[in-house]
Amino acid sequence: MKELRELEQSVEGAIAFLKTQPEIKSAQVFASANNRLWTRLNYTSHIPCNGLEEPKSTDDYGIGIQIVLDSPDGTMVGFGSEERDLSLEGVKLALEKAKQGAIIDPQFHCLPQATDEKRSLFEYHDPMIMGITNEGLIEAGWKALDGAIDSFLGSETLRGMASGKTLNDLGLIISGDLTILQERMAVSSYEMPDARSDESAFISACVTSMVEKGDAKGSGYSVYLKLKDLSGRAGSEAAQNAINSLNGIRLPSGDYPVILGPQPTAELLSHLIIPSCTTSAFYSRQSCFLGKLGKQVGSDILTVIDKGNARGLVGSKGITCEGLPTGETTLIKEGVLSGLLSQWYEYQRILNDPEAKEKLGVDPADFRQAMIPRNGFRYARGGGRNFGVLPTASATNIVFESPSSVDLHTLVNGIQKGILVGRLWYTYPVNGLRAGDFTGTLTADSYFIEDGRIKAPIKVNTLRINDNVGNILMGVRGVTKDTRPTVLWAADEIVYAPIGLMVDKVHFDQIAEFMDETY
Amino acid sequence: MGQKVNIALVDKTKDKLSNMVLEAKRKLENCFYVDLRVTVREGQGAVAQDGMMKSSIRDYGLSYGLRVIAGKQILAAGYFSQTLGAADTDKLSGIIGDGLDQAYERAIASSKIKSERKSHWQALGQSLHSTELAPIEICQDTIPGNYKINPVEVPLGEVNGLARDVSKAVASYDPRVKLNQIGIQTSLIRELFVSSEGTAIDRTHALTQGLCVVVAIGNSGVQQMHYDCLGHQRGWEILTDGFDEDLMQSKPLTGFALDLASDCVSLSEAKPCPSSGKEVVVVTDPHYNTLLVHEIIGHPTELDRALKLETAYAGRSWFFRNLKENMLGKQVASPLVSAYSDPLLQGYGHYEYDDEGTPVKRVMHIDKGIFCGFMNSRQTAAILGASPNGHFKAIDASFVPLIRMSTTAFGNGERDPKGIISEVDHGYYLVGHRIPSISESRENFRITARKVFEIRNGQLGEMFRDGGMMGNTKDYLMSVDAVGNDLRIRSIFNCGKGQPMQAKKLGNGGPTIRACARLVGGAK
Repeated sequence: MKELRELEQSVEGAIAFLKTQPEIKSAQVFASANNRLWTRLNYTSHIPCNGLEEPKSTDDYGIGIQIVLDSPDGTMVGFGSEERDLSLEGVKLALEKAKQGAIIDPQFHCLPQATDEKRSLFEYHDPMIMGITNEGLIEAGWKALDGAIDSFLGSETLRGMASGKTLNDLGLIISGDLTILQERMAVSSYEMPDARSDESAFISACVTSMVEKGDAKGSGYSVYLKLKDLSGRAGSEAAQNAINSLNGIRLPSGDYPVILGPQPTAELLSHLIIPSCTTSAFYSRQSCFLGKLGKQVGSDILTVIDKGNARGLVGSKGITCEGLPTGETTLIKEGVLSGLLSQWYEYQRILNDPEAKEKLGVDPADFRQAMIPRNGFRYARGGGRNFGVLPTASATNIVFESPSSVDLHTLVNGIQKGILVGRLWYTYPVNGLRAGDFTGTLTADSYFIEDGRIKAPIKVNTLRINDNVGNILMGVRGVTKDTRPTVLWAADEIVYAPIGLMVDKVHFDQIAEFMDETY
Repeated sequence: MGQKVNIALVDKTKDKLSNMVLEAKRKLENCFYVDLRVTVREGQGAVAQDGMMKSSIRDYGLSYGLRVIAGKQILAAGYFSQTLGAADTDKLSGIIGDGLDQAYERAIASSKIKSERKSHWQALGQSLHSTELAPIEICQDTIPGNYKINPVEVPLGEVNGLARDVSKAVASYDPRVKLNQIGIQTSLIRELFVSSEGTAIDRTHALTQGLCVVVAIGNSGVQQMHYDCLGHQRGWEILTDGFDEDLMQSKPLTGFALDLASDCVSLSEAKPCPSSGKEVVVVTDPHYNTLLVHEIIGHPTELDRALKLETAYAGRSWFFRNLKENMLGKQVASPLVSAYSDPLLQGYGHYEYDDEGTPVKRVMHIDKGIFCGFMNSRQTAAILGASPNGHFKAIDASFVPLIRMSTTAFGNGERDPKGIISEVDHGYYLVGHRIPSISESRENFRITARKVFEIRNGQLGEMFRDGGMMGNTKDYLMSVDAVGNDLRIRSIFNCGKGQPMQAKKLGNGGPTIRACARLVGGAK
């Protein structure tokens, strides 16, 4: 993997070269090197399998150049990149592409410029994660499997269920992955000539386990900033949660009070709320919060913050892929929509949009501080800061806070008849983001609550939520103090979601009754 | 400066790479199998929004991916892949040679631990098996691209001009159109597959796509956002002239985008779709059934899902519990329903060999209501004792292949679609697909439609927005009582699966179908 200094030298050299080109008015150069390593897990006790299915990786490095040119028709802007060549030759190839593709975009104002904010996060990654070997990668994957297998082998419940047969007949499944992300970047521009650089790395483990004979499924996940902390915890947690979900029951359709666990809360955030909290979603009139900046969109006990520069949080970065400092953006403060995620281009565009007041619900000039471009990242290819794409607004660490937080036990105690939702599946805004309607199915880790106690697990894939995100946010009645970092499949952000988020009423439809007669 | 990464690179390197793979298998200790995939891409694209250019690029890509199966006591696989650039073209074999060492090292390390765990995990270690590939016919073949206008010979200015002109046309279509975005890409892609068994497949294909997004706001403030994709494995001509083939037709991009704008504007003035609360008669058109068949037939007939490899991600399949309990040979649908996956059909799902060199064939999933089989790979076919059918595909060589749909479709019926509607006393006609949400094993679905029409006394009535249908998959399939003779295949541009996620282009389709399901509107 390329060293940080090589990336810094490359962007500095590129800027020096570009300044010798008289037709170029301005430029930003971004270089990065990324390494993504995965071990995919697939264990099935009843079907031949490999256990650790795929030890694999992709790596890349290269340089991307955005230029501003003068032309007889007006200012032109272009972007080009070149893979695996940080030399002047690579710069020239990228420049050639940028010139060839330069266009006049009337909504382009300028390349990113320094804001009043200062970088606050330095040297926050573990160098040991950067140096992991093939053997280390593979051992880590098997370790996650070991955690689950140990839980299965040690379970009295499963031994009783097998009743004389082997545990293999119960259809034990362990699925998921261990992902290691290593990323380095440097950026420089005419406006910010000193090379700014950043280096980060983390590990995530996401495991799903099943006792398929009992239609029981459990999830486990962990994130690590230190290699020494890596353990088989995600596997053992998933297996134990699957065992806890045995003998699940069906519930009839209806409206129920609900406690959302970390994964469902993260699912709603990633698919509906975060995409609605970007300046681009407001510009294009697609946000479910259109016209509501500064207005109540949720319960007054709900505060949601994007913390991009918090030491010890997994999604933190020192600077954005535009070279600007990361920071905190309060998206929802005590129920009021207070801020939007932005990168430089969209920030400029919404500030200069004549229809912005109608779209935002406020004069953008009065809300500049709510839209500071702290979230311009170039995520692509399953993680990493990619030199081959331009920045878009991405969340970092989404953190929940509440002025009246309680513990999970207190939330459960307050429910007469309700549902603890532990995992949602395929939660999408089926009528478009603007409408806020969403649906998804309960697929694991969910329980029926009766008389203030957890009564029984809910059988997997038997309930579908059909509701609206506006109802959910306004209906929040309790938030736990404890949160948990949650990683979703294909999501860039880490959600530090509450262990429990209580909502007063959510609509469920019972589904898939025919499956009870199928196996 | 000449472009060093172009598809001719494969001509210069394929014999050397083929020999390298053969040699590696011979030289590496305890090595059972090696394969190598290389993808070279040349292309260009442009995006315009509301008649303003937003981006334009002409670029190339080069990537490779390796699989090595090796081990002393028990075999395991190791993978390695990279994306490359122009600076690598003169040293390609050296770079791939280094990658081979990495993949081999991973396979050996995993094999060693697998062997240990097989004994340490007590009875649960029994299912850990030696990685096996089902045999295939060994082929060497070169397949040229099919296009009238070579995507790489179109001037970038022409690509930009079309994107801008179409976007301008949509913007001026109606004042209620508040935003539109037109994305165009046209590429030439060459893929090389070589294996230590002697397979060598060199395939070139064109890929051209127009993606349209329209946002409209009606006079009462109702917002509607819809998108649609026009795509084919053809050249630039499909965007300027459209196409008219046996199962695939499209207007040129301008007309295609204006049709979407027209729908979007009409919908912004429509009432919200009601919810039925109980099952009603639903007639679905070929565009809607493109997504329906994708979600309720295509995905659950991927054998990796059935064998639980996707339990944590895309999910399992209700068609298969285990090797003894499954739906093979059982009725899962009305006798009027047949469904298949066929890579030989034209469109995004077309190819002759998959990404492990397996010659493709049509796979029947449902034949007159009886479930009969899965899409597979060599590894999953070996577990089931089946013959590989060529559905192991990746979006490029730097990703590990997964079992993916080629073109998955409901089979054609015999009925006139108009007759299917005219027989309905009261029901709903769902036109055009929108957004899906499917339960984990695909046993239940809710899929929204672009437009929903009420049917009264055999006639189409009022049009509604923001509605769709929800149903249990088997109940829905069993309730089918009419299938039209209007099968159409369309392009799906973004099917996500895998870790890391691979957004794949593929084909889906179906004829008009009548069945029963719940009509579902919005939650407000």
